Amino acid sequence: MAEDGARDEGTESAALRAVLAAEHAAVWGYGTVGAGLAPDSRPQAFAADVAHRDVRDRLVELLRQRGDDPVAAEPAYALPFPVLSPVDAAALAVDLEDGVAAAWVRVLDQAVSVEVRQLAVDELSAAEVRAVGWRAAAGRTPTTTAFPGL
Amino acid sequence: MPSSPAPAPPGLSRRALLAASAGLALLAVGCTPGSSGGSAASEQADRLAGQVAVQESLVAAYAAAAAADAVLGSEVAGLAAQAGDQLDRLRAAAPSPGPSPVRPSLSAGAPPAGSDVRAWLRGQVTAAADAHAGASTGQTGARAALLGSVAAGLRGHAAALA
Repeated sequence: MAEDGARDEGTESAALRAVLAAEHAAVWGYGTVGAGLAPDSRPQAFAADVAHRDVRDRLVELLRQRGDDPVAAEPAYALPFPVLSPVDAAALAVDLEDGVAAAWVRVLDQAVSVEVRQLAVDELSAAEVRAVGWRAAAGRTPTTTAFPGL
Repeated sequence: MPSSPAPAPPGLSRRALLAASAGLALLAVGCTPGSSGGSAASEQADRLAGQVAVQESLVAAYAAAAAADAVLGSEVAGLAAQAGDQLDRLRAAAPSPGPSPVRPSLSAGAPPAGSDVRAWLRGQVTAAADAHAGASTGQTGARAALLGSVAAGLRGHAAALA
């Protein structure tokens, strides 16, 4: 983070690459989420998966248009905890959404263009709305947070 | 699952996320350094002060909803507390941190008699989220991050009130 306040297209691109890495992780993680949920909850995971894939693709295109190399997905990721039940699966989804939320907040902090900040606040909000549903499914209270990503 | 764990990326590493977000939170609280210079910074500070007023109205709206519907008020007490926390953080980040009085009946109005109080409150929350989200795109640095985060938090409130 440019704590001296210096922000430019370079800091913005670095933050976009970081959020792309988080989106790659979310796409991978939702495969595990979907497998761990009860069948009636899987549409929620599918919708989230589609949303993250869309954002990932948008970020890849954005970075390419800027002449930056998009971050590639890792072959696999380490889960933060074993997913052994639907509650675990929902908790993993919360972690995934919180992870991308933190990355989008960093984009807001580092961005220099209005368009990128608009994208960041939109996707940060979408992540938090999904997280509210997953926190409820995981039995967490409160289901909301005052400062997503911060 | 991989047989040999791969390095956790930012999206899955709690430690990395906590470290990064803690630093950002500190910046958000004390976001007065010159991330933008001169008049631009002054204009941004003024706009942030305007968002304090928006949040004051929202806190008042939560109080008004609780006064109109005690059961709903009990249900949303946690949301109201979070809205208050957001207000505190915005005030701390605004250039003139002196808190202005919250007047529910003046700043937010009250739900119309006989109306759906929950729906009214949700509308107030959504309006505040819209305002903060719009303001975040006109800010830079920690101010943009703070406003964007508050806006997202209120989107979550609206979802919880649905």
